[in-house]
Formats: sequence, structure tokens, C-alpha cells
Amino acid sequence: MDTFRNLIIILMSSVLVNNYVLSRFLGICPFLGVSKKLDQAAGMGLSVIFVMLVATAATWPIQHFILDRFGLGYMQTIVFILVIAALVQFIEIVLKKYIPALHKSLGVYLPLITTNCAVLGVTINNITDGYGFLESMVSSLGCGLGFLLAMVLFSGVRSRIESCDAPECFKGLPVTLIAASIVSLAFFGFAGIVDNLFA
Amino acid sequence: MKKSIQSIAVLTVICVVTAVLLALVNGITAPIIAKAEAEKANEALLVVMPDGEGFEEISADEYELPSSITNIYREKNGGYVFKMATTGYSSGLAIMCGIDKDGKITGAVCLSSGETLGYEKTYGDSFIGLDSESADSVDIISGATKTTAAYKNAVKDALASFIIVNGGSVDIRTKEEILQDNLSAVLPAGKEFTKEFITESLGDVTAIYMSGNGEGYVVAIGELFIGIDKNGNAVSEADESAKEKAIAAYNIHVNSTLEEIELSGYEGISSKILKAYKTSGGNFVFDIKASGYGMSGEWAASGKPIKIKVSASDEGKIISCITVSQSETEGIGSVCAEPSYYEQYNGKTEASLGEVDAISGATYTHKGYSSAVSEVFKTINILKGAE
Amino acid sequence: MSKNSKLSILLKGLLLENPVFVLVLGTCPTLATTTSVIGALSMGLAATAVLIASNAAISLLRKVIPDKVRIPCYIVIIAGFVTLVQMLMHAYLPELYELLGIYLALITVNCIILGRAEMFASKNRIGESVLDGIGMGLGFTLALVLMATIREVFGSGSFAGIEIPFLQNYKVEFLVKSPGGFLVFGILIAVVNAITKGKVIKKKDFGCEGCPSAGVCHSKECGAADENLTTKVGNTENAVKEEK
Repeated sequence: MDTFRNLIIILMSSVLVNNYVLSRFLGICPFLGVSKKLDQAAGMGLSVIFVMLVATAATWPIQHFILDRFGLGYMQTIVFILVIAALVQFIEIVLKKYIPALHKSLGVYLPLITTNCAVLGVTINNITDGYGFLESMVSSLGCGLGFLLAMVLFSGVRSRIESCDAPECFKGLPVTLIAASIVSLAFFGFAGIVDNLFA
Repeated sequence: MKKSIQSIAVLTVICVVTAVLLALVNGITAPIIAKAEAEKANEALLVVMPDGEGFEEISADEYELPSSITNIYREKNGGYVFKMATTGYSSGLAIMCGIDKDGKITGAVCLSSGETLGYEKTYGDSFIGLDSESADSVDIISGATKTTAAYKNAVKDALASFIIVNGGSVDIRTKEEILQDNLSAVLPAGKEFTKEFITESLGDVTAIYMSGNGEGYVVAIGELFIGIDKNGNAVSEADESAKEKAIAAYNIHVNSTLEEIELSGYEGISSKILKAYKTSGGNFVFDIKASGYGMSGEWAASGKPIKIKVSASDEGKIISCITVSQSETEGIGSVCAEPSYYEQYNGKTEASLGEVDAISGATYTHKGYSSAVSEVFKTINILKGAE
Repeated sequence: MSKNSKLSILLKGLLLENPVFVLVLGTCPTLATTTSVIGALSMGLAATAVLIASNAAISLLRKVIPDKVRIPCYIVIIAGFVTLVQMLMHAYLPELYELLGIYLALITVNCIILGRAEMFASKNRIGESVLDGIGMGLGFTLALVLMATIREVFGSGSFAGIEIPFLQNYKVEFLVKSPGGFLVFGILIAVVNAITKGKVIKKKDFGCEGCPSAGVCHSKECGAADENLTTKVGNTENAVKEEK
């Protein structure tokens, strides 16, 4: 029961309180770049969840059974980024060959994910936070869901911004960032929710 | 084909060169990082040993130490810092204690706790300057009995460990373990002894323990233990008169039977008396309920009584008293379930009942308990008067 | 190359091609590490060091690295230098290492560095590549420090940890929290937009192909880029595909 409770806390805190995009500033580039249309935002979000889960499933054992065992902890960054790059490539090939429908909807986002810092960030964070395998997977799921949530919410906000009449120099990115600030402010209200989840 | 082989080769070479370079740099920086981290850890240790220097962690596995000890650090001048993990009022309590080379406590702090009362934050200060002999003099704080008792035990474990790592020997067994060991010594076949509830007057006999595996009993006469096997023969060394006493007590005890008394046939018996029995030896056993804090406390109380079992001789002297169940405030009123409290009632009469020490911080519990037990004497008089 | 053009390589990163305010690259560390001036400065310098070193290494190896595997090669080289910086900082500047935390490791995926490798270092000689690294790195650092100054002075009432007496009483703590990061960043970009009106370079000339922010290109300056998203993704797709 305690384990389950612990997992729920990890999940909720990574979706709402420590939202990767809105409070930890990871994965900002795709957040600003691909959130213009709802379907693009959802596609990107789903791809990120998928890659985060696969990447965590691969990097956690690598860290614990290879890097830690042979004292190669300092190779973490280099190994993780290569593993993620190779995985993304592999997933793309597999999807293209066996599930072309899914490849058609997610395929375009996959290459963008290699250099998405949220993916590298979540794998490294899981190690530094000392999570076990199950906890790591739940935390990755939470971060991915948080990313999806932020993307989908923000795509709604953006469609309104497009039609607003901002001062010339604010058009485009600046006003988008200010809108992001307000969405991030809304997420601020979630702080403290996790502590009281089971109180 | 040739091109892709070349590509793979170049990528591999770059990877290998990078890895080798990183390994070389790591060789230079790793000791510096390790040293810096060790110094940082030492800074934390200085809290409990302000004058300490050159701490070095040593393995706890080399010694037979109390189970609460988790980490040991040796200081250059012969002092030690111990880290302990124990259980307080509600959850884990991590305590760190520094002891200098003369065996004096230089500091004790609570590293983490889930406690709510806050006493654990300052309690450690009262140990500063004490050694293994004088540490006992620090009082447990009423209202935070469990926390401070656990704290004190952890500090005592540290003091014991200090003697052990310096080559001395200390009895690290708990009171209960010592008792079990002593019982096993007189009845080698027995194990997991439990104290029996005594229903008859057994003279000098102070306690009877039953072996958990049915191999017999141990009768205690003061400090003397006599093992009696399952056939009723004394198996341990003792002088004959003591053995006879023990066997006699044993026989009375195991052959004692209870017969329930129909209470509705009597007038004036308190509702606190739930059931009464007459033993084959002519004594009485009562199941009683007491209203502790759980019943009388104003708020947040459990609403449940304390259930007590008492045996008393027909002259009105308590033979044995035990708390069967209670729902008092954990860590405060719940002390009434501990032998150190309820065994105080053994041997008391109506006149001497007031000698029982109250539970500090749990006035309601003690008052309710005591007044319930006092009903025993009245009930005995009623039962006897009716005969 | 003339002396003049060398100077221009160095200076273009400061304003007209400022990687943060004009090209909007490396947004994650820009937002995350600018709550304090010290954090921003150390982040900027760490990234600059990696940028200079990786630009130099990639420029030296540009003839050796086969086109097919160039992206993985760049990633390995950059990650290697990042790890190097991590280890050195952990050993000699442990406080800063703690302060930057995970963002230090994430320099690896900072779009500026991969972008410069792809667009500049792989095509130019080592001298220019190093200058480009210095210029871009300083532009990045200056942008970070500017933003951190605004956030720290008004958000925490201090500058580089030194308390400013008057502002201590009027702290706008919102600015050092995450929403404040987005807000200050948005306003600064607007200010830079107003100053540089029309003179900034087009993003696709800079090298967004190697970077996930390719999608940002639909901002006004990069006209056709919105439709470009798919083509650019296609480019990256090819590039990554060639890894195998």
C-alpha cells in the first residue's frame, strides 16, 4: 500500500507540481515550436511519453548494471544521449516497417526528440533522485503526461493569441512567452497539492 | 559498402578516443571530488563533535554492536561519532551522537524524524558532557515518552558501542533478551517464554513463565529461576526446599481451574466488573474495564475502555494484574499496557493501592485504571458477604 | 579572411545573431538558470567553454568525419566536452556544480552548440570556428546575465548574492519563480525585436536543422518556415537515418 501511495505521489508531483515544461523549463523548444495546432501538440506529447518510457527502461539498467558496476559513472551523459539517439532511430525504423499508421502520425516528431532535453533530463533525474526501476518508470510517465498536458493546454491558448492584436514588436514569440508565463502561473497553484494528497 | 565501414570506423574511433580522454581526466578529478565530498560529510559530523578532526568511516560489521548502529566514524584523536536508526513515537528516528576519547558525549542531534512533538530537536543537548555511567540520569520527557525513550536508548547504544570498538565488552542484550536467556539457562529445552497470569496465591513465587514450545515452565522465586519440565520435575540446580516450593507452586498453578460467578445474583457490584471467576484455590479472578482517557478525555479520544484482568486472594490482596487491551493515546496513556506499569499492582491491597506510581502526562488513564482496580476489593467483600 | 571579417564573426553573436534573443535557441537553460546572476554567468561560461572546444574539435575533424555519421559524431564530441566540464567543475567548483545541477549535463542537447557545429564549424577552418564559438558563447552568456540581473535584482533584491538595501523591502518574488522567467524572456525578446527591426538573420541560415527548435521557425522573422516544419523534420530525419 505504501509503495502504491509513493508511486501515486511521484506521478502527481511530476505531472502537476514539478511539471517539466512549466516549472523546470525542460523541453521548452518543442513546447514553443510544436504547440501551434492541437493535433501537432498531441502528437508530439504522445511521442515524448513513448520515448521517455522506452529511454528510461533502457538507461536505468545501463546505469545500475553497467556504469555503476564498473565505476563508469562519469560516462553517464555521453552514454545516455547515445542510447536515446539510437533508440529513437530504432523506434522509427520499427514503426515505419510494422505500424505505418502510427509512424505517419508520430513519425515526424520522433527525430526532434533526440535533442529534446526533457528526455535526457528525465533519465538523468531518475538516477540522481535514487529511484528504483518501477519508480523511475512512473516518474517518466508522469513527466511525459505533464509535457503532454502542457502542450495540449498551451495549444488552446495559442490559437487565441494568433487572433489578438499585439504591439508590433511583441508579435510572434514574445506574446507567446507571456502567455506561457500565465499558464505557468496557473500551475503554480498545484504546489502543495501532493503533500496533502493523502493527509 | 566501403563507405559505411569507414563511417562506422570513424564513429568508433571518436567514441574510443573520447572515452579514453574522459577516463584520464576522471583519474585526476575523482580523488579531488571524493576528498571534497568526504570533507563535506565531515562538516556534518562536526555538529556533534565541534573539536573533532580527520574523521574516517569504519565498518560496523567488524564488531558486534547494538542493531541500531548504522554508521561509525573514527576521529583522529580517538573519539567516535555514531549514527543510529531507531523508532520513535510514530516513525523512524535517525540520531547522531559524538563521543570523545574519554567516553564523554560531545553532542547528540536528531538527523531526521517524523515526530510531531518537537522534543527530539533539543533533547540531545541534555546528554552533552555525560558518559556511560551518568547518561542514565537524563530524564525521559513526559508527553514525549516514546520519542525520548527511544532517543535515550540510541544514545546508550552509542555509549555501549564506544566501549566495544575500544575493545571492551558490554551486555548489549535488551532486558527482554536477558530474561529469555536466563530462562533458557534453567530450562534448555524451552524457548520463547511468556509470563503466565497467576490466579492462585503461590507464597514466595514471584512469576511463572511458560515455554512457547510446551516443554515446561520456569518458576521464579525472587531472583532464583527453577526450570520444571513437562513431566513436573525440577531440572535445574537449586537447593531442595526451593525446588519443593517451585514444584508445589507449579502444581497449584497448572491445576487451577476457574468457575464463573453469576454476578446478577449480587447487589451493588460496579458495572466496571465485567466478569468474575472463583478459582479452585478459593481466590478470585476479575475481568474489568476502566475508563481511561479514551472514555473520559474531552476530545479526540478513542471512546474505548481499557480492559484489565486481575486476580486477587479472598483476603483482598492482588495476586496478578495485566492489561488485556487499551486504546489510549499512543506513547502517553498506552504506557498502561506495559508491565512496568501494571505489575506495580501485584501484591497491593485496598490500603496500599495509592502507592502505585502514576503515568506522567496521562492522569486520566492512571486515575481510571486505579479506580477500576479498586472495584476489585469492594466486589470481593460483596461476594464474600453474600456467602 | 580580412581582419575586419574576423571581428565581425566575433561580434555578430552579441546582438544581430544573438543566439538567445534573436534566434531563440537554448531556451531551457536561459529560463532555468537565470534566477541568480552567479548561476547564469557560470552556465554561460560552461556552455561557452564547451562551444569553443567542440567547434575547434569538429572543425579539425571536418575532413575526417563522413557525412553520413556526422550528427552522432558531433553528439559524442559535444557530450564528451560536457562531461569534461562537469568533472572539472565538480572537482574545483563544487558549489557551482551543485547550483547548476542537471542543466550542466543538458548543455549536451543545447541547440546552440549542435547548431554551430552543423552550420559553422563543419565548414570553416579552426581559427574562425574558435572565434565563432567565442562570439556565440559570449552572446549566450551576456543574454543570460542580462536576464538574470533583471530577475535577481527585482526578484530577490540582490545582485550576485550581494543584497541591495532598498530593494530588499520591495522584492517581486514572482520574477524568480518559473512564470517570471517566461515573462522576462518574452519582454526582452520584444525589446530586441524593436531595436533590431528587420536586420536580424533568418533562422534557417543559422542551422536549426540540427535542433529541435526548428519548429520555432514559424515566428515572423523566418517567413516560410511554418511550412518548412515538415521539410526540416525531413532533413533531420535523413540526417539521423544516416546514423546507421
